[in-house]
Amino acid sequence: MKNILELFSGIRWQDILDIGLNSYILFRLYALFRGTHVLRVIIWLALLWFVQRISVSLGLIVTSWAIQGITAMGALIIIVVFRNEIRNVLQARRFKSFLWGFSSKSPVTPVEIVAESIAELARRHIGALLVFPGKESLHDAVQNGISWRGQISKEMILSIFWPDNPVHDGAAVIQGQQVAEVGVILPLSYRKDLPSYYGTRHRAALGLAENTDALVVVVSEERGHVVVAKKGRMRTVNRQEELVEILRMHQGISDDAEERRKRENFRIGLAAFVCLIFITGVWFSFTRGQDVLVPMEVPIEFVNRAAKMEIIDSSTSAVQLHLSGSASLMKSIRPEQIRVRLDLGSAGVGENRFTLSRENITLPPGIGIKTIKPQDIQVQVDVPLKKTLPVQVDWEGRLPDQLIMVKATPFPRNIEVVGPSQVVESLSAIYTKKVMLPDLQGSGTLEADLDLEPSSLKIAPGASRRVQIAYTIKEREN
Amino acid sequence: MKRFFLLMGLLPLAVLALGACSASHAQEAVPDEQPITQAVPTLAKAVMCEDIQEFKPKNASVVFSISRGKVFCYTFFDPVPEQTFIYHQWIHRNKLNTKRRLYLQTPRWSSFSSIQLRESDKGPWRVEILDQSEKVLTVLTFSITD
Repeated sequence: MKNILELFSGIRWQDILDIGLNSYILFRLYALFRGTHVLRVIIWLALLWFVQRISVSLGLIVTSWAIQGITAMGALIIIVVFRNEIRNVLQARRFKSFLWGFSSKSPVTPVEIVAESIAELARRHIGALLVFPGKESLHDAVQNGISWRGQISKEMILSIFWPDNPVHDGAAVIQGQQVAEVGVILPLSYRKDLPSYYGTRHRAALGLAENTDALVVVVSEERGHVVVAKKGRMRTVNRQEELVEILRMHQGISDDAEERRKRENFRIGLAAFVCLIFITGVWFSFTRGQDVLVPMEVPIEFVNRAAKMEIIDSSTSAVQLHLSGSASLMKSIRPEQIRVRLDLGSAGVGENRFTLSRENITLPPGIGIKTIKPQDIQVQVDVPLKKTLPVQVDWEGRLPDQLIMVKATPFPRNIEVVGPSQVVESLSAIYTKKVMLPDLQGSGTLEADLDLEPSSLKIAPGASRRVQIAYTIKEREN
Repeated sequence: MKRFFLLMGLLPLAVLALGACSASHAQEAVPDEQPITQAVPTLAKAVMCEDIQEFKPKNASVVFSISRGKVFCYTFFDPVPEQTFIYHQWIHRNKLNTKRRLYLQTPRWSSFSSIQLRESDKGPWRVEILDQSEKVLTVLTFSITD
C-alpha cells in the first residue's frame, strides 16, 4: 500500500495533462483507423513493444534486440503496405473529424431489395456475382472495377447482370445504398474440394471470401441456385428470407436500434478506457520505473547583473547535481535541458553569498534533484574603474659586489589600467615581471612585461603591456 | 651727485612699498578666497642609499641586496622657513610598511629614515616623501633583491 502511495505521490497537474492528452491522441487514432487492417497491425506492434520492454527488464538480450528490430521494421511495413488505407482514412475526413466525433457507419444497404433482386436473377437463371464488403478494404484484393455509383434498385441490379450487358461477367460491389463498382475481377480460389458444378463465379466468390471479410453472393446461371461465400465457406441459400437474414447479419443490422447504439457506445467507451490504461502504464514505466541517481556537473549562469557591475570572482563556476528519475528519462536528458541560474539582482559591490536551492535549477519534467554541491556560492561583484599608475621595475638576483645601479627609468613612466574598483583603488603602482640583475654588465636598456596581478586587472585599450627600462650601473664607492 | 644716487636708491624702494600696499588691499577685498599659505620646506635632494656618513648619503642606488641588512632614505631640505615635519612613507608592493615622522629645523635640514631588511622584504619598494599636510613631495622607488 505504501509503495502504491509512493508511486502516485508527486504527480503534478502537468503529468495528468500529459497522460490525458496522449490517451486522447491514441483514442483518436483508434477512432480514425477502426475497422481497418492498420489498427490491427498497430495493436500487434504495441504488444510487441510491450513484450520488448518486459524482455529488457528480464535481461533477455537477444529477444529484446530482435523484437526491437521487428517493431522498427513493422512501423515501416505499416506505412508501405497500408499506404492506401492510410490515405483513404486521411483523405476522406475533414480536419475537425481528426479531433472530434466518429465516422458515421456507412448507410445500411436495403437488403430486402437486394435479396428480391437476387431471387429474381435466380428465377431467370441469370448468372450474377455480388460483393458486400466487410470492414476490410477490397482495394488490394480485386481488380478492374468500373465506377458505377448507382442507387440500388431491383431493375438496376437485373440490368447489370443482363447477359447483353458488357459488364455482366464481373462482380458488382454493393456499398451502402449504392452499387459502387461493376465488372470487378475477383481472385479465384484454388481449392480442389469444390463440387464439380461450381463454375468460375463460385471460385471467384470463394477466392475473395478467403482473402477478405467480404460476403459474396453467387447466382448460378445453370442451376439458378443462390450461394453465399464468407470466410472461406460456401453455403447454398434456398429461401429469400434466409438471404435477407444473412445480409443483415453481415452488415451488423439488428432489429433493436437502441441495443445497437448501446453496443456501439460500450465499444467506444471500452476503447477510451483501454487507451487511458495503456498510456498511464507507458507513463509510469517511463517516469517511475527503475529510479536511478545520476551525478551531473552543470555550469552556473549568473543572470540579472546590474549593467555597470562585473563579476570579479566566484567560489565556483559549476555545481555538481545528483539527479534522480527513471532510467529511460535519464537517458534522454540533454545537457542544455538542465540549467542552474543565480540571480545577481540583489548583489552589491564586494563579496555576495548565495545559497542555491531547487528554485535556481531548471530540470526536465519527471527529473528530481537529490543534492546540490556546493550549495553556498560566493560571488564578488564590482564596478570597473580606470586609473593611471606609475610603472616600477621588479628587480631580482644580485649585481656583482663592485657594481651598483644608480638609476632605472621605465618608459612609459605611467600606464592606464582598468579593473574592479576595489582592486584598482588599492593599487599605487604597477610592477614589471621579474627582471634578472645578474644578466646586466653595464648601463643600457631592456624590455619587460608588466605583471597584471590579480588577473581581473587589465591594461586600458591602446596601452602596451611591455615597457622599456633605461638603467645606469656604476662602480661602487668604497 | 650724492643726492642723486640716494634718490635713485630710494625710488625702487618706494615703488616696492606702493606695490606691497596695493597687494595688501587686494587681499582685504577677497579675504575668504585666498587660502592661508603655509611656509613649506623645499626638497633639495632625496635619494635611497646604502649608508649615511657625516649626514651625507653614501652609495645612492635603486637596487639593494638584502645582505646589506639596511637601506636608508635620505632627504635634504633647503630652505626650511620654519620648524616643521615631514613623513617618509615606506611602501612594499602596494602595502604600507611603515610611516616615519621626521622634524625639520631652520634654515636647512637633512633627515633620513631606514628599515632593517628581512627575507620577506624582497621585491619592489617605494618611499613617498610627504609634507606636514601629507602632500606628496616626491616618490623614490627601489628594489630589495638577493
